[in-house]
Amino acid sequence: MLLLLVTRILQLCYSGGLECPWAADAAAPLTTWSCSRMHIPDGYLSPSTCALLYGTAIPFWYVAFARVKRLLNTRLVPLLAVVSAFCFVIMMFNVPLPGGTTGHAVGVGVATVVLGPWASMLAVSIALLIQAVFFGDGGITTLGANCFNMAIVGSLVAHFVYRAVAGRTATTSSRRALAAGLAGYAAINVAAFLAACELGFQPLFFKDASGAPLYAPYALHIAIPAMMLGHLTFAGLAELFVSGGIVAYLQRTNPALLGQKSGAGTDEGGRPTVATTGWSTTRPLWIRLALLMLLTPLGILAAGTAWGEWGTRDFSDPQMRQQIAASSGNIAPPSQQPQGLARLSSLWSAPFPQYAPPFLRRPAFGYVMSAVFGSGLILGSFLLIAWMAGGRGADATKASP
Amino acid sequence: MTRANKNSRGVIERSLGSFVDALEYAFHAEALARKNGLLQKLDPRIKILALLPLIVIAALSRRLWVIAILFIIGVAVATLSNVPLRTLVRRVWLGVLTFSGLISLPALFLTPGQSLYALPLLGWVVTAQGLRAALYLIMRAQTAATFSVLLVLCTPWSSLLKALRVLRLPIVLVVVLGMTYRYIFLLLRTAHDMFTSRKSRTVGRLTGREQRRAAAASAGVLMSKTLQLSGDVYLAMHSRGFQGEVYVLDEFRTDWFDWVTLATFLTIAALAFWFGR
Amino acid sequence: MTVPIFEVRDVTYSYHEVTALDGLNLTIMPGERVALLGANGSGKSTLLSILDGLCFPEKGSVAFQGEPLTEGRLGGEVEIAFRRRVALVFQNPDVQLFNPTVFDEVAFAPLQMQWPKDRIRDRVNEMLEQMEIAHLKYRSPHHLSTGEKKRVALASVLILDPEVLLLDEPTAALDPKSESQMIDFLVSCSGGRKTVVTATHDLDLIEDIADTCHVFQGGRIVAKGAPSEILNDHVLLLSTNLIHAHRHAHPSGELHSHPHRHGHRH
Repeated sequence: MLLLLVTRILQLCYSGGLECPWAADAAAPLTTWSCSRMHIPDGYLSPSTCALLYGTAIPFWYVAFARVKRLLNTRLVPLLAVVSAFCFVIMMFNVPLPGGTTGHAVGVGVATVVLGPWASMLAVSIALLIQAVFFGDGGITTLGANCFNMAIVGSLVAHFVYRAVAGRTATTSSRRALAAGLAGYAAINVAAFLAACELGFQPLFFKDASGAPLYAPYALHIAIPAMMLGHLTFAGLAELFVSGGIVAYLQRTNPALLGQKSGAGTDEGGRPTVATTGWSTTRPLWIRLALLMLLTPLGILAAGTAWGEWGTRDFSDPQMRQQIAASSGNIAPPSQQPQGLARLSSLWSAPFPQYAPPFLRRPAFGYVMSAVFGSGLILGSFLLIAWMAGGRGADATKASP
Repeated sequence: MTRANKNSRGVIERSLGSFVDALEYAFHAEALARKNGLLQKLDPRIKILALLPLIVIAALSRRLWVIAILFIIGVAVATLSNVPLRTLVRRVWLGVLTFSGLISLPALFLTPGQSLYALPLLGWVVTAQGLRAALYLIMRAQTAATFSVLLVLCTPWSSLLKALRVLRLPIVLVVVLGMTYRYIFLLLRTAHDMFTSRKSRTVGRLTGREQRRAAAASAGVLMSKTLQLSGDVYLAMHSRGFQGEVYVLDEFRTDWFDWVTLATFLTIAALAFWFGR
Repeated sequence: MTVPIFEVRDVTYSYHEVTALDGLNLTIMPGERVALLGANGSGKSTLLSILDGLCFPEKGSVAFQGEPLTEGRLGGEVEIAFRRRVALVFQNPDVQLFNPTVFDEVAFAPLQMQWPKDRIRDRVNEMLEQMEIAHLKYRSPHHLSTGEKKRVALASVLILDPEVLLLDEPTAALDPKSESQMIDFLVSCSGGRKTVVTATHDLDLIEDIADTCHVFQGGRIVAKGAPSEILNDHVLLLSTNLIHAHRHAHPSGELHSHPHRHGHRH
């Protein structure tokens, strides 16, 4: 809470016009972090977290690319490049907010509304990559995490919120502009929540021998409120205004760009909608995804359990204790399970504890099952909802001009 | 192009400041990439293979002293590559220190553990664990940032994009990245001109609502131009024979110097990894 | 009897409810140097796009060397062969220069034609030397002046040694020095058997790079003739908005309306 107070004071100094330049310069990064940016830099997430998030992002990138290529074909390269450049520039806009403050938008709301979620995923990811690598904004090890939060989940959330709020109203109705704004707002806040969770988990699992957090030092109960406050207010509102504002502007000047046609015949790139693609076309992708998942048992080959991923029972089991000690620089683990761990472990009993349900003999198979289950749950639920919405979406295409 | 005053309160000025900053940074990077130094001489693919492991290890290592040594190595490489330390301070170290420093400031007091020192008036207690946490965060960020900035400052960006293929990135992505990079500058310039003309036409200070409308309108115009540009570029590509296949032509050549340097960097990385587990 | 390289019959084309071309007829013979004269919006750029097979007319037909140029026929190998022979330089160099460096830009077309990579590298270097832009080889387009960009654009299409060169406002937005340099380049490049079709509203250009002029207005061709004829027809030039009239004080004190055009700047 201290952090928030300091932040708010500095933010007011920066924007309220108090003549203290050093405060402004010092305030800028802090305010940008907690209020408008969720680009996680290098060093804030552990190796396993980074790898996990890269691993989760890659299937989505793969599916998105295949979909966009099918829909846009030769137009893919120029459209994606130019929209990524646009997102990058939008990220630099200072958006004026109520109260005399400013925030930054990401552009995921606009990109999703105009291009559909899959192209938006790619465009925002590309913009984030260039920002991270060439302009040093956001980490390279954490690029997977940032893309997952903002580009992937952000696009999907924006898409569903937009469809839910806009429904089947006319292209130029004000409800659509509002829907776009809300879509952007929701996307940013969900992304911020995810980022807060990722950061908040770090000190729980990744500490050095003395107990000092190795990566992000703030636990969930601090990380979540800190990030959410800043994004529910500043960054979320910035995205709302940018998304809603751009859509409103396009409605006035060039409504054709917001139409639901995809590709053929139009001279600007069309909008690839989830509604226009079917299940059967993605079957080859599912096969490839399954193959990728079958490779997950390679993780089993690493001896023992991953560092930090211990259950409460491991602290009393002598064999496990030896393993823990060996992988922690020969420091013996505490004789009793850590209090925090004990408290948390009672909260949730994962259906697949230790990735291997007891009824399955071979752990490798259990590992694969869990990976399939996890990824499948995420992808499957989105695609299922999209398929159901696809029925309604097809009607909408016929209904609107 | 005038440099906007950072402390000016106008939204337009601040956005203009960011645009100008980005353009200057790119220009500066291209100038440094043409100098004669250690990193500049290397094939870009070798550079990526040499520096990327160091970035990753700095960000993920568990020993403070390993990270510290990597940082010193980073400074040495910068000096050997004729990158002025002033540039590093201004572009990287100051920013990261402020950023991560401020972030980790509360951690000094909030992290549970062995208490070290209590602040006189407020009674807040700095813990050893909190201090270590703060040090981890700051040093990781500084070291990782130093290496990534070196990679970027000492290589022409278009070459760096092509060299990313060494990481097995698909060709289509590399081509799209190249075009994105090219058009970022066009859009930045367009946005800059829009904002400058808006600024010159604005008398007095706009209300918050007016400012928001202005920002949304600028963004809208930019989006329109963006989509129009995409159609035009598509025609331009089409007229030169583009039918969907993408190609990349590079002029990379490696010599013994590249391989020796790569071996050296990889050895350092391996050692850092070993000692930092 | 030689087959015309382009035969345009009764072509009508409109977009966004604006009729750009209205029943246009035009024949261009191989090796001819043609200027399409017209003010902005008169339809010349649209015609060039149609000649380059980038858009197709709603009514009428276009034939390239006797073969009809339609959306259905243009594809695959046929298209590659066509694009190798016909090149278009766009009006806006920022649209034409979409690659990250000059080197990539000039190498783009040969790469699409799938030439061997070594041959491409050599040819690119030759081309850059020829256009006097070798020092810009690794520059990015946002670091180039307009004149340099236009030269790079020209190099990027000339590398394939096309038979037909379509130029859209090649001297627009150029300062006088760059403009005269560009005219020199165009004259030297277009020598020989090349067919050159230039769309422009710059009257200084046409005497050097064209033998025939077609004057456009409202999507139609309203006049045709040699450059010298057209240039002397002040009434025509005025009515088609290619020159402007302004009143100035005559030494005798009377006011005259005097059609005015810029002189040569070589």
